[in-house]
Amino acid sequence: MQFLTPVASMDAEEARAYIKEHKEGTYTLLDVRQPSEYEKGRIPGSKLIPLPELAGRLKELDPRTPVIAY
Amino acid sequence: MGGRSRAAAQFLSGQGFEEIYNLKGGIAAWQGLQAFGPAEMGMITLRGNETPQEVIVLAYSMEQGLADFYSRVPAMTHDSEVKKIIGKLVQIEEKHKDKLFALYQTLEPGTTERILFEEKIVSGVMEGGFTGEEFLEKNKSLLDTVQNLLSLAMMLEAQALDLYTRYAQKAEDIQIRSLFHDIAEDEKGHLAALGALMDARA
Repeated sequence: MQFLTPVASMDAEEARAYIKEHKEGTYTLLDVRQPSEYEKGRIPGSKLIPLPELAGRLKELDPRTPVIAY
Repeated sequence: MGGRSRAAAQFLSGQGFEEIYNLKGGIAAWQGLQAFGPAEMGMITLRGNETPQEVIVLAYSMEQGLADFYSRVPAMTHDSEVKKIIGKLVQIEEKHKDKLFALYQTLEPGTTERILFEEKIVSGVMEGGFTGEEFLEKNKSLLDTVQNLLSLAMMLEAQALDLYTRYAQKAEDIQIRSLFHDIAEDEKGHLAALGALMDARA
């Protein structure tokens, strides 16, 4: 199995700092889990797009806005 | 586990998103619980100017890895519905391999023996990558529940979807582009099926 592209990551502490330093609306917290998981608990302000739906719902996201995915 | 978000981040990156971060350890890490993610998978560097033949070989090796992974799943769960769905996925990945090989043959008419194609060409690409067996061994600790198993499968399918949509966009040959679109559509269907199964199990 091949991993195709290296992806930047943040640990929880870095993400907390990022959220603190950046204004709401300048980034997207993206929850790609299933709705059942989202309902059980999520990072406040997250947008839910389950991974299976991501390809079909790209228009809901702005490619210029930074995304933190979990 | 963070595998799905990593696959999502890769996908978005391929779609031209400028700044994407994968939250390490996912929600579990956020909540201060012990975090763990899937073991690193083998990495290869794509130059971006691969020949269609090279892309087909790469896709074939990925399908081989997927099929190999799925074929090992039934031994790991007693859940009959999971077994059933994984069985279907194996069959479809095998069909993808057939299609890819047929396309390869049209580009390289001298290639007649599938076994030689697999041994001489595909195995070279798989080396340094991951076999289903190695992958499972490294991720054993994550496969203790049906939810985790499904989550891992979704991550793999999303990566496959990512590969096919990227190369479909790049492919100049209409035949190759349409094959990649078709296979991407299948992988998208797999993701949806796995997601639905996960919801039903929640």
